[in-house]
Amino acid sequence: MPPEAAKGGPPPLPPYQMRAELPSGDRQSAGRDGEDLFSNRCGACHLAGGMGTNLLTKQRMAAGEPPENGLLANRKDLTASYVKSVVRNGKMAMPRLTQVDVTNAELDSIAAYLGKAGE
Amino acid sequence: MKLTLPPRVSPAQFDAAIKACEGVVGKAWVMASDADRDAYSDIYAPGSEEEWPASAAVAPATVEEIQAVVRLANEHKTPLWPVSRGKNLGYGANAPRMPGSIVLDLGRMQKVHELNTELGYCVIEPGVSFFDLYEYIQREKAPLWMSVPGNAWGSVLGNALDHGMGYTPYGQHAKNLCGMEVVLPDGDLMRTGMGAMEGNHSWHLFPLSFGPDWTQMFTQSNMGVVTKAGLWLQPAPESTLVLTWDIPNEEDIGWVVDTITPLKYGGLIDQNVFIPSWLGKIVLKGQRKDFWDKEGAIPEWRVQELLKEHKLGYWQVQVRFYGDEAVNKAKAEVVKKAFKKHLDVAPHEEWWRQGDPVNQFDPTMGVPSAVALQMGDWVGGRGAHMGFSPVVPATSKHVMGQLKRSRKIIADHDVDFYASFTVGGRFATNINMLMYDRDKPEQVKNMRKLFDALIVDTAEAGYGEYRTHLGWMDPVNATYNFNNGAQRRLNEKVKDAIDPNGILSPGKQGVWPSAYRDMAGKREG
Repeated sequence: MPPEAAKGGPPPLPPYQMRAELPSGDRQSAGRDGEDLFSNRCGACHLAGGMGTNLLTKQRMAAGEPPENGLLANRKDLTASYVKSVVRNGKMAMPRLTQVDVTNAELDSIAAYLGKAGE
Repeated sequence: MKLTLPPRVSPAQFDAAIKACEGVVGKAWVMASDADRDAYSDIYAPGSEEEWPASAAVAPATVEEIQAVVRLANEHKTPLWPVSRGKNLGYGANAPRMPGSIVLDLGRMQKVHELNTELGYCVIEPGVSFFDLYEYIQREKAPLWMSVPGNAWGSVLGNALDHGMGYTPYGQHAKNLCGMEVVLPDGDLMRTGMGAMEGNHSWHLFPLSFGPDWTQMFTQSNMGVVTKAGLWLQPAPESTLVLTWDIPNEEDIGWVVDTITPLKYGGLIDQNVFIPSWLGKIVLKGQRKDFWDKEGAIPEWRVQELLKEHKLGYWQVQVRFYGDEAVNKAKAEVVKKAFKKHLDVAPHEEWWRQGDPVNQFDPTMGVPSAVALQMGDWVGGRGAHMGFSPVVPATSKHVMGQLKRSRKIIADHDVDFYASFTVGGRFATNINMLMYDRDKPEQVKNMRKLFDALIVDTAEAGYGEYRTHLGWMDPVNATYNFNNGAQRRLNEKVKDAIDPNGILSPGKQGVWPSAYRDMAGKREG
């Protein structure tokens, strides 16, 4: 076991996480797959070992939650409207994303996928 | 963010320009709301984001759309600020230099036109990110490696065009560019290098042309919009071996550089050798308050305690060898012997061979990661950083001189010292990361004063920055002062000749077209 994990720190580093390919279709149209869109559009930071995941893992563990909650896909307490707000307004180390980074239609699908606590 | 119009453009003229752009790219790809303007502001701005405001953004998807938008910009006198993906964090992100410019966001242009495994290059568009290209190469199972910068969230071409650096044998990214396609400020289309000949087979292989070649004119430049380019890639090595030393003392950087430089420019070491100071390791272990709970710079006695507590040297040196296993081993022996003259500690050695898992956080293996941005969390709040980046000759005399001078100025401003040197051959780039909390106005004010002081001092000592934030492009340009700024004057002449309306990136790198020269040097504070 790596020393960090032995001390109750973050889990060992995962290998490179391949993102899903960008789902085909018009980026401005509704109904493309939210999970794949999340992986492709947000995966540079929010898959295992990503910059956002690492910071959120520390934050969630400090709040007494398991390290797995550092992955947004594992969260049960996110609402779709909160996800949209953070993407468009940024939060702490996360910059705002433009509509070229994530279109409104893509964000609707991503927010529906991550927003397991509802609207 | 409220609308800031381009200089001397009325609201009605602006609306007409926006409507015309919608006719080219579609309404959804013209972004001109207050929220859109926020999204095209500098997320790490040292001060108000409204200091460098965009009026809108337009996102074309094809070369023809770019040409049409550029022609409209000339017609309506609405200047454009092209960005590839707009992730130039620490240098201005996707915000424009001149207030009211319309951001030309090329992020939709994500095609990989060619991946050539026989001769090791790709032809890509500006919206292709390091993650996109890496995964494309993996999916194609192509035996090629990329070179990546510390923050790999951005565009491959954007980084190379802005003179970004990486840590592999292909680490000087602008040198990997070979053959570009460019939309000129009047909307015309040209190709650099051998691409000047229709159908030429060597476009992305031969780095020159017949007669003067204009490729480098379009890097760090406002002379054209690069729509695609060839980029050389490294053949995937059979194996790599990395040697890691923790170097105990600050002044040891002198012998480290004198040891590495001749091996690097002599060809024994292929990669750009990155030498970060201790803070580069600590920032990944927690927040500043976990290690020092006072506002001012961490004092030297506490630095020494932290180095002991975390078993760190003041510097860390990693030298990686790429290729044939026997050759790597032989090269490593030469470098180990050279280091042993100064440090009687064996390095940590780690082999990687084809088929082994790849460490996802190691930029010396060409794997993209955004983890370096975690440093934004170091100071807490809306953490941000600016990079002060002079170039120095890669010898102990110059490296130590720069280190001592910048360290004193940074200490005088009571700011933590986080320097790195990257030996790229005969030169080293010295990146000083200046981290601050954007929500603390006194920190921001201090950081700006510090940055001004560093530029003046460094230039007086005979060194220049190779890259800088929007707000300091004019002051840094002014330090390139041979013969009353002959380089600036030539750039302005060329700019005015090919862009008489001054519609492409006015003020980029301190080069102002005559149409907007009255805006030069304008900065709040």
